[in-house]
Amino acid sequence: MIRFEKVTKTYPGQDHSALDDVTVELDKGEFAFLVGSSGSGKSTFLRLVLREARPTSGRVYVAGKEINRLAGWKVPRLRRQIGTVFQDFRLLPNKTVHENVAFALQVIGKSKAHIKQVVPETLDMVGLANKADRMPDELSGGEQQRVAIARAFVNRPMILIADEPTGNLDPTTSIDIMKLMETINGTGTTVLMATHDAGIVDQMGKRVIELVDGQLVRDQARGAYGLPTN
Amino acid sequence: MQLRYVFSELRQGLRRNLSMHIAVILTLFVSLTLVGLGVLLNQQAEKAAAQWGSQLEITVWLCKTEDDNPSCLGEVTTAQKAAIVDVIENNPEVADYRYESQEVAFEKVKELLGPEKFDGPNPAATAEALPQSFWIELKDPQEYEGITSAVIGLDGVSDLRDMREVLEPIYGTIDAMKTGAYATAAFLIVAALLLVGNTIRLAAFARRKEIGIMRLVGASTLYIALPFLMEALVTALIGVGLATAALAGFVYYGIQQNVGERLQFIPWIGTPEYLNAVIFIAILGPLLTLLPTLLLTRKYLKV
Repeated sequence: MIRFEKVTKTYPGQDHSALDDVTVELDKGEFAFLVGSSGSGKSTFLRLVLREARPTSGRVYVAGKEINRLAGWKVPRLRRQIGTVFQDFRLLPNKTVHENVAFALQVIGKSKAHIKQVVPETLDMVGLANKADRMPDELSGGEQQRVAIARAFVNRPMILIADEPTGNLDPTTSIDIMKLMETINGTGTTVLMATHDAGIVDQMGKRVIELVDGQLVRDQARGAYGLPTN
Repeated sequence: MQLRYVFSELRQGLRRNLSMHIAVILTLFVSLTLVGLGVLLNQQAEKAAAQWGSQLEITVWLCKTEDDNPSCLGEVTTAQKAAIVDVIENNPEVADYRYESQEVAFEKVKELLGPEKFDGPNPAATAEALPQSFWIELKDPQEYEGITSAVIGLDGVSDLRDMREVLEPIYGTIDAMKTGAYATAAFLIVAALLLVGNTIRLAAFARRKEIGIMRLVGASTLYIALPFLMEALVTALIGVGLATAALAGFVYYGIQQNVGERLQFIPWIGTPEYLNAVIFIAILGPLLTLLPTLLLTRKYLKV
Protein backbone atom coordinates (compact mmCIF):
# COMPACT_ATOMS: atom_id res chain seq x y z
CA MET A 1 0.00 0.00 0.00
CA ILE A 2 2.91 2.32 0.85
CA ARG A 3 6.40 1.54 -0.41
CA PHE A 4 9.57 3.61 -0.10
CA GLU A 5 12.51 2.55 -2.27
CA LYS A 6 15.88 4.07 -1.31
CA VAL A 7 14.20 7.38 -0.58
CA THR A 8 16.38 10.35 0.25
CA LYS A 9 15.00 13.82 0.86
CA THR A 10 17.27 16.81 1.27
CA TYR A 11 15.66 20.21 1.68
CA PRO A 12 17.26 23.00 -0.32
CA GLY A 13 20.01 24.83 1.55
CA GLN A 14 20.62 22.02 4.05
CA ASP A 15 23.51 19.59 3.84
CA HIS A 16 21.88 17.11 6.23
CA SER A 17 19.23 14.86 4.69
CA ALA A 18 15.80 14.79 6.35
CA LEU A 19 15.43 11.22 5.09
CA ASP A 20 18.45 9.17 4.14
CA ASP A 21 18.13 6.11 1.88
CA VAL A 22 14.96 4.76 3.50
CA THR A 23 13.43 1.55 2.13
CA VAL A 24 10.27 0.29 3.81
CA GLU A 25 6.93 -1.22 2.85
CA LEU A 26 3.47 -1.26 4.44
CA ASP A 27 0.94 -3.82 3.25
CA LYS A 28 -2.74 -3.26 2.81
CA GLY A 29 -4.56 -3.29 6.15
CA GLU A 30 -1.43 -2.93 8.23
CA PHE A 31 -1.12 -0.78 11.36
CA ALA A 32 2.29 0.79 11.93
CA PHE A 33 3.83 3.38 14.25
CA LEU A 34 6.43 5.78 12.99
CA VAL A 35 8.60 6.78 15.94
CA GLY A 36 11.64 8.93 16.49
CA SER A 37 12.61 12.19 18.14
CA SER A 38 11.77 15.61 16.73
CA GLY A 39 13.70 16.23 13.52
CA SER A 40 14.21 12.52 12.87
CA GLY A 41 12.29 12.71 9.59
CA LYS A 42 8.81 11.50 10.63
CA SER A 43 7.00 14.52 9.22
CA THR A 44 9.01 14.40 6.01
CA PHE A 45 8.04 10.74 5.67
CA LEU A 46 4.34 11.62 5.97
CA ARG A 47 4.69 14.60 3.62
CA LEU A 48 6.19 12.30 1.00
CA VAL A 49 3.23 9.90 1.26
CA LEU A 50 0.83 12.80 0.78
CA ARG A 51 3.03 14.19 -1.98
CA GLU A 52 3.31 17.48 -0.22
CA ALA A 53 6.99 16.98 -0.94
CA ARG A 54 8.93 15.00 -3.51
CA PRO A 55 11.97 12.85 -2.77
CA THR A 56 15.40 14.06 -3.83
CA SER A 57 16.11 10.53 -4.99
CA GLY A 58 14.39 7.15 -4.76
CA ARG A 59 10.77 6.21 -5.35
CA VAL A 60 7.59 6.48 -3.33
CA TYR A 61 4.67 4.19 -4.21
CA VAL A 62 1.20 4.72 -2.77
CA ALA A 63 -1.71 2.43 -3.71
CA GLY A 64 0.37 0.93 -6.48
CA LYS A 65 1.34 4.21 -8.14
CA GLU A 66 4.72 5.87 -8.16
CA ILE A 67 3.48 9.16 -6.81
CA ASN A 68 6.55 11.29 -7.28
CA ARG A 69 5.98 10.91 -11.00
CA LEU A 70 2.29 11.78 -10.72
CA ALA A 71 1.13 14.79 -12.76
CA GLY A 72 0.14 17.72 -10.56
CA TRP A 73 -3.53 17.59 -11.52
CA LYS A 74 -3.76 13.96 -10.39
CA VAL A 75 -2.57 14.73 -6.85
CA PRO A 76 -6.08 15.61 -5.55
CA ARG A 77 -7.27 12.15 -6.65
CA LEU A 78 -4.40 10.55 -4.70
CA ARG A 79 -5.29 12.53 -1.59
CA ARG A 80 -8.91 11.37 -1.77
CA GLN A 81 -7.57 7.90 -0.99
CA ILE A 82 -5.68 9.11 2.08
CA GLY A 83 -7.25 10.40 5.26
CA THR A 84 -5.12 12.65 7.45
CA VAL A 85 -5.32 13.51 11.15
CA PHE A 86 -3.16 16.07 12.96
CA GLN A 87 -2.16 16.87 16.48
CA ASP A 88 -4.00 20.23 16.34
CA PHE A 89 -7.27 18.77 14.91
CA ARG A 90 -7.61 21.52 12.25
CA LEU A 91 -11.38 21.83 12.44
CA LEU A 92 -13.16 24.82 10.93
CA PRO A 93 -14.30 26.86 13.95
CA ASN A 94 -17.32 28.42 12.22
CA LYS A 95 -18.86 25.10 11.17
CA THR A 96 -20.72 22.55 13.26
CA VAL A 97 -19.44 19.01 13.79
CA HIS A 98 -21.69 17.75 11.01
CA GLU A 99 -20.65 20.56 8.65
CA ASN A 100 -16.97 19.96 9.34
CA VAL A 101 -17.27 16.31 8.32
CA ALA A 102 -19.58 17.08 5.40
CA PHE A 103 -17.15 19.74 4.13
CA ALA A 104 -14.61 17.06 3.20
CA LEU A 105 -17.18 15.44 0.92
CA GLN A 106 -18.69 18.65 -0.46
CA VAL A 107 -15.39 19.96 -1.76
CA ILE A 108 -14.71 16.78 -3.72
CA GLY A 109 -18.12 17.01 -5.33
CA LYS A 110 -20.09 14.28 -3.54
CA SER A 111 -23.85 14.45 -3.84
CA LYS A 112 -26.09 15.86 -1.14
CA ALA A 113 -27.85 12.51 -0.74
CA HIS A 114 -24.55 10.69 -0.28
CA ILE A 115 -23.41 13.22 2.32
CA LYS A 116 -26.70 12.99 4.16
CA GLN A 117 -26.25 9.25 4.50
CA VAL A 118 -22.52 8.87 5.16
CA VAL A 119 -21.83 11.72 7.59
CA PRO A 120 -24.24 10.51 10.33
CA GLU A 121 -22.93 6.96 9.89
CA THR A 122 -19.38 8.13 10.40
CA LEU A 123 -20.26 10.36 13.36
CA ASP A 124 -22.01 7.37 14.88
CA MET A 125 -18.88 5.28 14.41
CA VAL A 126 -16.67 7.81 16.25
CA GLY A 127 -19.33 8.12 18.99
CA LEU A 128 -20.46 11.69 18.32
CA ALA A 129 -23.90 11.06 16.79
CA ASN A 130 -25.50 13.16 19.53
CA LYS A 131 -23.15 16.12 19.06
CA ALA A 132 -23.56 16.69 15.32
CA ASP A 133 -24.88 20.23 15.78
CA ARG A 134 -22.26 21.40 18.26
CA MET A 135 -19.53 23.86 17.37
CA PRO A 136 -15.92 22.65 17.75
CA ASP A 137 -15.16 25.02 20.64
CA GLU A 138 -17.96 23.40 22.63
CA LEU A 139 -16.20 20.04 22.52
CA SER A 140 -13.37 18.56 24.56
CA GLY A 141 -10.01 17.89 22.93
CA GLY A 142 -10.74 14.20 22.59
CA GLU A 143 -14.10 14.92 20.98
CA GLN A 144 -12.52 17.41 18.57
CA GLN A 145 -10.00 14.78 17.55
CA ARG A 146 -12.85 12.33 16.94
CA VAL A 147 -14.45 14.87 14.62
CA ALA A 148 -11.12 15.19 12.81
CA ILE A 149 -10.90 11.40 12.52
CA ALA A 150 -14.48 11.27 11.22
CA ARG A 151 -13.57 13.86 8.61
CA ALA A 152 -10.47 11.90 7.59
CA PHE A 153 -12.41 8.63 7.36
CA VAL A 154 -15.74 9.80 5.93
CA ASN A 155 -14.60 9.16 2.35
CA ARG A 156 -13.48 5.62 3.34
CA PRO A 157 -9.82 6.12 2.41
CA MET A 158 -7.47 3.18 1.83
CA ILE A 159 -4.85 4.81 4.04
CA LEU A 160 -5.15 6.82 7.25
CA ILE A 161 -2.19 8.94 8.21
CA ALA A 162 -2.04 10.37 11.72
CA ASP A 163 0.62 12.84 12.80
CA GLU A 164 0.81 12.79 16.62
CA PRO A 165 -2.98 12.46 16.98
CA THR A 166 -2.72 12.04 20.77
CA GLY A 167 -0.10 14.76 21.26
CA ASN A 168 -2.56 17.22 22.79
CA LEU A 169 -4.63 14.70 24.73
CA ASP A 170 -4.49 13.18 28.20
CA PRO A 171 -3.67 9.45 28.56
CA THR A 172 -7.25 8.22 29.05
CA THR A 173 -8.54 10.15 26.05
CA SER A 174 -5.53 8.95 24.06
CA ILE A 175 -6.51 5.34 24.68
CA ASP A 176 -10.02 6.04 23.37
CA ILE A 177 -8.55 7.61 20.26
CA MET A 178 -6.30 4.57 19.77
CA LYS A 179 -9.30 2.26 20.05
CA LEU A 180 -10.95 4.27 17.34
CA MET A 181 -7.85 3.94 15.18
CA GLU A 182 -7.96 0.19 15.67
CA THR A 183 -11.61 0.12 14.65
CA ILE A 184 -10.74 2.00 11.47
CA ASN A 185 -7.85 -0.38 10.86
CA GLY A 186 -10.34 -3.22 11.30
CA THR A 187 -12.29 -2.02 8.24
CA GLY A 188 -9.21 -2.76 6.10
CA THR A 189 -7.73 0.73 6.10
CA THR A 190 -3.95 0.90 6.36
CA VAL A 191 -2.98 3.08 9.33
CA LEU A 192 0.35 4.87 9.67
CA MET A 193 0.74 6.89 12.83
CA ALA A 194 3.66 9.10 13.80
CA THR A 195 3.95 9.46 17.57
CA HIS A 196 6.07 10.34 20.58
CA ASP A 197 3.77 8.50 22.96
CA ALA A 198 5.81 5.59 24.30
CA GLY A 199 2.97 4.29 26.47
CA ILE A 200 0.63 3.86 23.52
CA VAL A 201 3.23 2.19 21.31
CA ASP A 202 4.17 -0.25 24.05
CA GLN A 203 0.56 -1.03 24.85
CA MET A 204 -0.61 -1.61 21.28
CA GLY A 205 2.13 -4.05 20.31
CA LYS A 206 2.00 -3.12 16.63
CA ARG A 207 4.68 -2.76 14.00
CA VAL A 208 7.20 -0.03 14.84
CA ILE A 209 9.32 1.85 12.30
CA GLU A 210 11.96 4.02 13.92
CA LEU A 211 13.85 6.88 12.34
CA VAL A 212 17.00 8.47 13.75
CA ASP A 213 18.51 11.41 11.87
CA GLY A 214 16.60 10.44 8.77
CA GLN A 215 17.79 6.84 8.75
CA LEU A 216 15.67 3.78 9.28
CA VAL A 217 17.19 2.15 12.38
CA ARG A 218 14.44 -0.28 13.33
CA ASP A 219 11.49 -2.04 11.71
CA GLN A 220 9.97 -4.43 14.21
CA ALA A 221 6.82 -6.48 13.70
CA ARG A 222 5.53 -6.22 17.28
CA GLY A 223 7.62 -3.48 18.76
CA ALA A 224 7.86 -1.16 21.73
CA TYR A 225 8.77 2.52 21.73
CA GLY A 226 12.17 2.30 23.36
CA LEU A 227 15.21 0.88 21.69
CA PRO A 228 15.46 -2.83 22.51
CA THR A 229 19.22 -2.95 22.40
CA ASN A 230 21.96 -0.40 22.04
CA MET B 1 -19.12 20.32 -8.59
CA GLN B 2 -21.50 21.98 -6.22
CA LEU B 3 -22.28 25.44 -7.53
CA ARG B 4 -24.14 26.25 -4.35
CA TYR B 5 -20.87 26.12 -2.46
CA VAL B 6 -19.09 28.26 -5.05
CA PHE B 7 -21.75 30.95 -4.97
CA SER B 8 -21.98 31.06 -1.19
CA GLU B 9 -18.18 31.38 -1.07
CA LEU B 10 -18.37 34.12 -3.70
CA ARG B 11 -20.95 36.06 -1.71
CA GLN B 12 -18.95 35.68 1.48
CA GLY B 13 -15.72 36.62 -0.25
CA LEU B 14 -17.19 39.77 -1.76
CA ARG B 15 -18.59 40.82 1.59
CA ARG B 16 -15.49 39.96 3.59
CA ASN B 17 -13.17 42.07 1.49
CA LEU B 18 -15.65 44.74 0.52
CA SER B 19 -13.33 47.73 0.86
CA MET B 20 -10.62 46.07 -1.21
CA HIS B 21 -13.11 45.07 -3.88
CA ILE B 22 -14.43 48.63 -4.07
CA ALA B 23 -10.87 49.92 -4.45
CA VAL B 24 -10.28 47.44 -7.29
CA ILE B 25 -13.57 48.36 -8.97
CA LEU B 26 -12.93 52.13 -8.80
CA THR B 27 -9.38 51.81 -10.07
CA LEU B 28 -10.52 49.57 -12.88
CA PHE B 29 -13.38 51.92 -13.68
CA VAL B 30 -11.12 54.95 -14.09
CA SER B 31 -8.34 53.13 -15.92
CA LEU B 32 -10.72 51.36 -18.31
CA THR B 33 -12.51 54.65 -18.99
CA LEU B 34 -9.20 56.25 -19.90
CA VAL B 35 -8.21 53.32 -22.11
CA GLY B 36 -11.62 53.53 -23.78
CA LEU B 37 -11.11 57.30 -24.31
CA GLY B 38 -7.76 56.58 -25.92
CA VAL B 39 -9.37 54.07 -28.26
CA LEU B 40 -12.12 56.57 -29.12
CA LEU B 41 -9.67 59.42 -29.78
CA ASN B 42 -7.56 57.16 -31.94
CA GLN B 43 -10.60 56.38 -34.06
CA GLN B 44 -11.50 60.09 -34.14
CA ALA B 45 -8.06 60.95 -35.50
CA GLU B 46 -8.34 58.22 -38.14
CA LYS B 47 -11.79 59.36 -39.14
CA ALA B 48 -10.75 62.99 -39.50
CA ALA B 49 -7.66 61.99 -41.43
CA ALA B 50 -9.72 59.91 -43.86
CA GLN B 51 -11.81 62.96 -44.67
CA TRP B 52 -9.28 65.75 -44.60
CA GLY B 53 -5.98 64.04 -45.11
CA SER B 54 -3.18 63.97 -42.67
CA GLN B 55 -1.23 67.02 -41.62
CA LEU B 56 1.31 66.41 -44.32
CA GLU B 57 -1.13 66.53 -47.20
CA ILE B 58 -1.96 69.20 -49.77
CA THR B 59 -4.94 68.82 -52.08
CA VAL B 60 -4.84 70.00 -55.70
CA TRP B 61 -8.33 70.48 -57.12
CA LEU B 62 -8.54 70.01 -60.88
CA CYS B 63 -10.85 71.92 -63.20
CA LYS B 64 -14.35 70.57 -63.69
CA THR B 65 -17.03 71.60 -66.15
CA GLU B 66 -18.40 75.03 -65.20
CA ASP B 67 -15.63 75.61 -62.69
CA ASP B 68 -15.74 78.60 -60.32
CA ASN B 69 -12.21 79.51 -61.38
CA PRO B 70 -12.43 81.61 -64.59
CA SER B 71 -9.04 80.44 -65.80
CA CYS B 72 -10.45 76.90 -66.18
CA LEU B 73 -11.54 76.27 -69.75
CA GLY B 74 -13.83 73.27 -69.19
CA GLU B 75 -12.98 69.94 -67.56
CA VAL B 76 -9.36 69.00 -67.13
CA THR B 77 -8.00 66.96 -70.08
CA THR B 78 -5.99 63.78 -69.94
CA ALA B 79 -2.97 65.60 -71.34
CA GLN B 80 -3.22 68.30 -68.69
CA LYS B 81 -3.43 65.65 -65.96
CA ALA B 82 -0.35 63.91 -67.32
CA ALA B 83 1.52 67.23 -67.24
CA ILE B 84 0.46 67.82 -63.61
CA VAL B 85 1.50 64.29 -62.60
CA ASP B 86 4.84 64.93 -64.26
CA VAL B 87 5.42 68.10 -62.17
CA ILE B 88 4.36 66.35 -58.94
CA GLU B 89 6.50 63.29 -59.52
CA ASN B 90 9.61 65.36 -60.23
CA ASN B 91 9.27 67.63 -57.24
CA PRO B 92 11.76 66.82 -54.44
CA GLU B 93 9.37 67.91 -51.67
CA VAL B 94 6.79 65.24 -52.54
CA ALA B 95 6.83 62.00 -50.57
CA ASP B 96 3.81 60.43 -52.24
CA TYR B 97 0.62 61.35 -54.05
CA ARG B 98 -2.67 59.80 -55.04
CA TYR B 99 -5.45 60.63 -57.45
CA GLU B 100 -9.08 60.98 -56.28
CA SER B 101 -11.84 60.62 -58.85
CA GLN B 102 -15.16 62.45 -58.85
CA GLU B 103 -16.93 59.30 -57.69
CA VAL B 104 -14.67 58.85 -54.66
CA ALA B 105 -15.09 62.52 -53.73
CA PHE B 106 -18.84 62.14 -54.05
CA GLU B 107 -18.85 59.11 -51.72
CA LYS B 108 -16.90 61.07 -49.08
CA VAL B 109 -19.35 63.98 -49.24
CA LYS B 110 -22.24 61.56 -48.94
CA GLU B 111 -20.70 59.97 -45.89
CA LEU B 112 -20.03 63.32 -44.20
CA LEU B 113 -23.46 64.86 -44.80
CA GLY B 114 -25.58 61.72 -44.77
CA PRO B 115 -26.51 59.65 -47.84
CA GLU B 116 -30.23 60.46 -47.59
CA LYS B 117 -29.60 63.92 -49.10
CA PHE B 118 -28.12 62.42 -52.25
CA ASP B 119 -30.36 59.49 -53.01
CA GLY B 120 -33.71 59.79 -54.74
CA PRO B 121 -34.95 61.97 -57.60
CA ASN B 122 -33.76 65.37 -56.36
CA PRO B 123 -30.19 65.03 -55.02
CA ALA B 124 -28.34 67.94 -53.42
CA ALA B 125 -25.36 67.30 -55.67
CA THR B 126 -24.07 64.76 -58.18
CA ALA B 127 -20.61 63.37 -58.78
CA GLU B 128 -20.15 65.74 -61.74
CA ALA B 129 -20.38 68.76 -59.41
CA LEU B 130 -17.26 67.67 -57.55
CA PRO B 131 -13.74 68.13 -58.82
CA GLN B 132 -11.10 65.46 -59.43
CA SER B 133 -8.06 65.97 -57.23
CA PHE B 134 -4.51 64.98 -56.41
CA TRP B 135 -3.60 64.44 -52.76
CA ILE B 136 0.05 65.20 -52.26
CA GLU B 137 1.93 64.03 -49.22
CA LEU B 138 4.95 66.15 -48.31
CA LYS B 139 8.25 64.90 -46.95
CA ASP B 140 8.48 67.85 -44.58
CA PRO B 141 5.34 69.81 -43.69
CA GLN B 142 7.40 73.00 -43.37
CA GLU B 143 8.59 72.86 -47.00
CA TYR B 144 5.69 73.27 -49.33
CA GLU B 145 6.21 76.55 -51.23
CA GLY B 146 8.08 74.76 -54.02
CA ILE B 147 5.26 72.41 -54.87
CA THR B 148 2.44 74.92 -54.43
CA SER B 149 4.04 77.50 -56.71
CA ALA B 150 4.95 74.80 -59.25
CA VAL B 151 1.42 73.41 -59.43
CA ILE B 152 -0.82 76.47 -59.05
CA GLY B 153 -0.07 77.97 -62.47
CA LEU B 154 -0.54 74.77 -64.47
CA ASP B 155 -3.36 74.37 -66.94
CA GLY B 156 -6.22 72.28 -65.57
CA VAL B 157 -5.57 73.21 -61.91
CA SER B 158 -8.49 75.00 -60.35
CA ASP B 159 -7.39 75.49 -56.77
CA LEU B 160 -5.05 74.26 -54.09
CA ARG B 161 -5.94 73.46 -50.54
CA ASP B 162 -3.50 73.51 -47.69
CA MET B 163 -5.44 72.54 -44.57
CA ARG B 164 -2.46 72.28 -42.29
CA GLU B 165 -3.15 75.51 -40.44
CA VAL B 166 -6.70 74.48 -39.66
CA LEU B 167 -6.05 70.84 -38.93
CA GLU B 168 -2.81 71.01 -37.00
CA PRO B 169 -4.34 72.30 -33.73
CA ILE B 170 -7.17 69.77 -33.95
CA TYR B 171 -4.87 66.82 -34.62
CA GLY B 172 -2.48 68.15 -31.98
CA THR B 173 -5.24 68.29 -29.37
CA ILE B 174 -6.51 64.81 -30.21
CA ASP B 175 -2.99 63.41 -30.08
CA ALA B 176 -2.18 65.06 -26.76
CA MET B 177 -5.44 63.87 -25.20
CA LYS B 178 -4.85 60.35 -26.48
CA THR B 179 -1.31 60.22 -25.12
CA GLY B 180 -2.46 61.65 -21.79
CA ALA B 181 -5.28 59.11 -21.51
CA TYR B 182 -3.03 56.15 -22.31
CA ALA B 183 -0.23 57.31 -19.98
CA THR B 184 -2.58 57.89 -17.03
CA ALA B 185 -4.32 54.59 -17.75
CA ALA B 186 -0.97 52.77 -17.70
CA PHE B 187 -0.24 54.00 -14.16
CA LEU B 188 -3.73 53.14 -12.97
CA ILE B 189 -3.54 49.68 -14.52
CA VAL B 190 -0.38 48.99 -12.53
CA ALA B 191 -2.25 50.17 -9.41
CA ALA B 192 -5.22 47.94 -10.31
CA LEU B 193 -2.98 44.89 -10.76
CA LEU B 194 -1.34 45.48 -7.38
CA LEU B 195 -4.73 45.92 -5.74
CA VAL B 196 -5.99 42.68 -7.27
CA GLY B 197 -2.89 40.92 -5.98
CA ASN B 198 -3.38 42.29 -2.47
CA THR B 199 -7.05 41.37 -2.47
CA ILE B 200 -6.24 37.79 -3.36
CA ARG B 201 -3.56 37.60 -0.72
CA LEU B 202 -5.99 38.85 1.92
CA ALA B 203 -8.71 36.46 0.75
CA ALA B 204 -6.35 33.50 0.66
CA PHE B 205 -5.19 34.39 4.16
CA ALA B 206 -8.75 34.70 5.45
CA ARG B 207 -9.59 31.29 4.00
CA ARG B 208 -6.29 29.55 4.72
CA LYS B 209 -7.85 26.95 7.03
CA GLU B 210 -10.52 25.98 4.52
CA ILE B 211 -7.97 25.93 1.73
CA GLY B 212 -5.62 23.76 3.77
CA ILE B 213 -8.36 21.21 4.43
CA MET B 214 -9.58 21.28 0.84
CA ARG B 215 -6.08 20.48 -0.38
CA LEU B 216 -5.75 17.72 2.18
CA VAL B 217 -8.99 15.95 1.33
CA GLY B 218 -8.27 16.19 -2.38
CA ALA B 219 -10.39 19.06 -3.72
CA SER B 220 -9.32 19.93 -7.25
CA THR B 221 -7.26 23.03 -7.83
CA LEU B 222 -10.02 24.52 -9.97
CA TYR B 223 -12.52 23.99 -7.20
CA ILE B 224 -10.27 25.78 -4.72
CA ALA B 225 -9.49 28.61 -7.13
CA LEU B 226 -13.03 29.08 -8.46
CA PRO B 227 -14.31 31.46 -5.76
CA PHE B 228 -11.24 33.64 -6.33
CA LEU B 229 -11.77 33.64 -10.09
CA MET B 230 -15.46 34.45 -9.67
CA GLU B 231 -14.60 37.36 -7.37
CA ALA B 232 -12.14 38.64 -9.93
CA LEU B 233 -14.70 38.32 -12.69
CA VAL B 234 -17.43 40.11 -10.74
CA THR B 235 -15.21 43.07 -9.85
CA ALA B 236 -14.02 43.28 -13.47
CA LEU B 237 -17.56 43.25 -14.84
CA ILE B 238 -18.67 46.02 -12.48
CA GLY B 239 -15.62 48.08 -13.48
CA VAL B 240 -16.33 47.49 -17.16
CA GLY B 241 -19.99 48.42 -16.67
CA LEU B 242 -19.12 51.74 -15.01
CA ALA B 243 -16.53 52.54 -17.69
CA THR B 244 -19.02 51.68 -20.43
CA ALA B 245 -21.49 54.15 -18.96
CA ALA B 246 -18.84 56.85 -18.61
CA LEU B 247 -17.74 56.41 -22.23
CA ALA B 248 -21.35 56.56 -23.39
CA GLY B 249 -21.65 59.87 -21.56
CA PHE B 250 -18.48 61.14 -23.23
CA VAL B 251 -19.59 60.17 -26.74
CA TYR B 252 -23.10 61.52 -26.31
CA TYR B 253 -22.60 64.71 -24.29
CA GLY B 254 -18.97 65.42 -25.11
CA ILE B 255 -19.00 64.68 -28.83
CA GLN B 256 -22.40 64.35 -30.40
CA GLN B 257 -24.22 67.05 -28.38
CA ASN B 258 -21.21 69.34 -28.10
CA VAL B 259 -18.39 69.61 -30.63
CA GLY B 260 -20.33 67.51 -33.11
CA GLU B 261 -22.97 70.24 -33.28
CA ARG B 262 -20.52 73.11 -33.43
CA LEU B 263 -17.82 71.79 -35.76
CA GLN B 264 -19.71 70.01 -38.47
CA PHE B 265 -16.95 70.07 -41.09
CA ILE B 266 -15.21 67.23 -39.21
CA PRO B 267 -16.71 63.73 -39.18
CA TRP B 268 -17.14 62.85 -35.50
CA ILE B 269 -17.18 59.43 -33.87
CA GLY B 270 -20.53 57.82 -33.03
CA THR B 271 -22.05 54.52 -32.03
CA PRO B 272 -19.83 52.14 -34.09
CA GLU B 273 -16.65 53.65 -32.67
CA TYR B 274 -18.16 53.61 -29.19
CA LEU B 275 -18.94 49.90 -29.55
CA ASN B 276 -15.35 49.21 -30.64
CA ALA B 277 -14.07 50.92 -27.50
CA VAL B 278 -16.55 49.02 -25.30
CA ILE B 279 -15.57 45.66 -26.81
CA PHE B 280 -11.93 46.52 -26.19
CA ILE B 281 -12.37 47.36 -22.51
CA ALA B 282 -14.81 44.46 -22.00
CA ILE B 283 -11.95 42.13 -22.97
CA LEU B 284 -9.23 44.09 -21.19
CA GLY B 285 -11.07 44.45 -17.85
CA PRO B 286 -11.55 40.74 -17.06
CA LEU B 287 -8.01 40.01 -18.30
CA LEU B 288 -6.63 42.56 -15.83
CA THR B 289 -8.22 40.75 -12.88
CA LEU B 290 -8.28 37.13 -14.05
CA LEU B 291 -4.64 36.90 -15.12
CA PRO B 292 -3.15 38.03 -11.79
CA THR B 293 -5.71 35.85 -10.01
CA LEU B 294 -4.68 32.78 -12.00
CA LEU B 295 -1.00 33.48 -11.39
CA LEU B 296 -1.40 34.22 -7.68
CA THR B 297 -3.78 31.38 -6.89
CA ARG B 298 -1.15 29.07 -8.35
CA LYS B 299 1.25 30.58 -5.85
CA TYR B 300 -0.97 30.72 -2.78
CA LEU B 301 -3.12 27.64 -3.34
CA LYS B 302 -0.39 25.33 -4.59
CA VAL B 303 -1.25 21.66 -4.15
